[in-house]
Amino acid sequence: MSDPVLSVDELSVDLGRTEIISNVSLTAAAGELVGLVGPNGAGKTTFLRAIQGGLQPTTGTVTVDGHDIAELSARETGRLVATVPQETRLSFSFSVEDAVAMGRNPHIGRFGTADAEDRTAVSQALDDTSLSALADRPVTELSGGERQRVLLARAFAQDTPLLLLDEPTSNLDINHAINTLDLVRSVADEGTTAVAAIHDLNLAARYCDRLVLLAEGSILAAGVPETVLTSETLESAFDAHTVVSNDPTTDSPRVTALSEHQSVDDI
Amino acid sequence: MDVRQRAVGWSLWLAAALGVSITVSAGIGPVSIHPLAVLKVLLNAVSVPTGIELTGSSVGNALQLPAPELQWQSPFSYSVRSTHQTIVMRVRLPRILLAGVVGFALAAAGTVMQGFFRNPMADPSIIGVSSGAAAGAVAFLVVPVAIPFGLGLQGAAFVGALLAAFGVYAIATEGGRTPIATLLLAGVAIQAFLGAVIAYLQLHSGDGLRQVVHWLMGHLGNAGWDDVTVTLLLVPLLFGILLAYARDLNVLLLGEEAAHGLGVEVERTKRILLSVSAVLTAAAVAVSGVIGFVGLIVPHMVRLVVGPDHRVLLPAAALAGASFLVLTDTIARAGATEIPVGIVTAALGAPFFLYLLRSREVHEL
Repeated sequence: MSDPVLSVDELSVDLGRTEIISNVSLTAAAGELVGLVGPNGAGKTTFLRAIQGGLQPTTGTVTVDGHDIAELSARETGRLVATVPQETRLSFSFSVEDAVAMGRNPHIGRFGTADAEDRTAVSQALDDTSLSALADRPVTELSGGERQRVLLARAFAQDTPLLLLDEPTSNLDINHAINTLDLVRSVADEGTTAVAAIHDLNLAARYCDRLVLLAEGSILAAGVPETVLTSETLESAFDAHTVVSNDPTTDSPRVTALSEHQSVDDI
Repeated sequence: MDVRQRAVGWSLWLAAALGVSITVSAGIGPVSIHPLAVLKVLLNAVSVPTGIELTGSSVGNALQLPAPELQWQSPFSYSVRSTHQTIVMRVRLPRILLAGVVGFALAAAGTVMQGFFRNPMADPSIIGVSSGAAAGAVAFLVVPVAIPFGLGLQGAAFVGALLAAFGVYAIATEGGRTPIATLLLAGVAIQAFLGAVIAYLQLHSGDGLRQVVHWLMGHLGNAGWDDVTVTLLLVPLLFGILLAYARDLNVLLLGEEAAHGLGVEVERTKRILLSVSAVLTAAAVAVSGVIGFVGLIVPHMVRLVVGPDHRVLLPAAALAGASFLVLTDTIARAGATEIPVGIVTAALGAPFFLYLLRSREVHEL
């Protein structure tokens, strides 16, 4: 097997005096879509920020495409890792095309301007996310779902071997959520490695090759969805009663949460 | 359309507008001069190098190296009245050019600060530069002995401006990081403190009070070529640095973490943008006093027209700021008694500020 695109080695991250991530190791190969699941506050966002180099880890290393992220400049990192944030602020009204073109920033020198390759990457990203028709619209006038697609297009335009997504579907309705994950799946199938924090366990199970279950900053379980999503692991991670069955439509695990007083027999 | 084409297109339009503003302004005053006559005077003043002559041949004892010397010649020689020539070149033009370059600097710095703080109410004085300049100038006027090393009024204002800006920056920086919210609040606090210093000095200014008030309201009178030359050389240089960071400024609008992910060296870029804007503002304020609202309203007006992309916005706002201050200063000096230009810009700027507050432009603070 070829070298993994992403390799996280015994990573620990402190925020203030609290350890948010402790001793997490993870590898992901080219074309893999890895889902990061776990309860609120488990450290999913912090983990993604550390991979992207936005946070300095206390110990451990992150290697992308053979490069130690801690030793790279922001520009070099920007050519290796693209991030789709949960939400972005844009109070000034850039056009959709300009906002997507910002993804090319790490590829353009200080005194340079966009060349043919940059323009191709932007129009391709707009095309892939069905935003071409909206290219001239100000981003401030878009709906939540459209804005999410702009962030996705920006990351696609960045054209990196590793794509990180922080809850890309949490603010979207079911149709937009599916569309977004379809797009992520398709870039993964073309060879991009993607790590996505996903709240919805059923969607995560359906789209990801592997899941990593984080709880209190550590990996509780990792592997194919069927082995990670079990009543036992979910009980210990979420402190919730669940029933895991097979969804006949998607042929992937389906998690149903029960209230405290329910048991399977009641349903 | 390509960004570079848009930037060049807007810049050419606004540079032409600035040329017209300067020409019209130079004709207005106690002696009214027709714009065409002004144009002839200005064209006469243009000189271009026509050739290089080698001077200093080896005459006498030592071997002298020949020194190349540029020969200048004016391509135009219109006949103009010598009084018009004197009025335009000696009296009005230095002041008009100073207004232009100060407006240019303040609008550019204001544009950068609004982007930097992601706050539409930010202006060039936000990190204490103007208050520092005012404190320096007032201290010089009231207690001249306190200013050693033979600094003039402008030097004292310049040093005060940079000390205040550096102070705010140092206070807001911890462990190599400068959170912009801390910077903003530190700026507010230092401005309040310096306001107290200025008020105290004013109380004890005695006969100098009139001069102090005059300085504080912003003024471009008594401008000579000396004032203009230094600022004219310094401002374009600093502006060039800001322009080189225009794309990073766009990306910084997304927030610092996102900007880092998009290849911007966040802390270093912030340091450069802050220090260059501070020096740019200080260079303007030191020669003109505190002229409010130019750095606040001009970027807004221009943003409404050309959009938020700093590669287009920054040169456009700077040129528009130059025209704006040339025209407002013309109003300030056109009346029977001259009023400080700061009053004119504020009188025009405050209503616009209120309009901003009432319109959808202000989403967040």
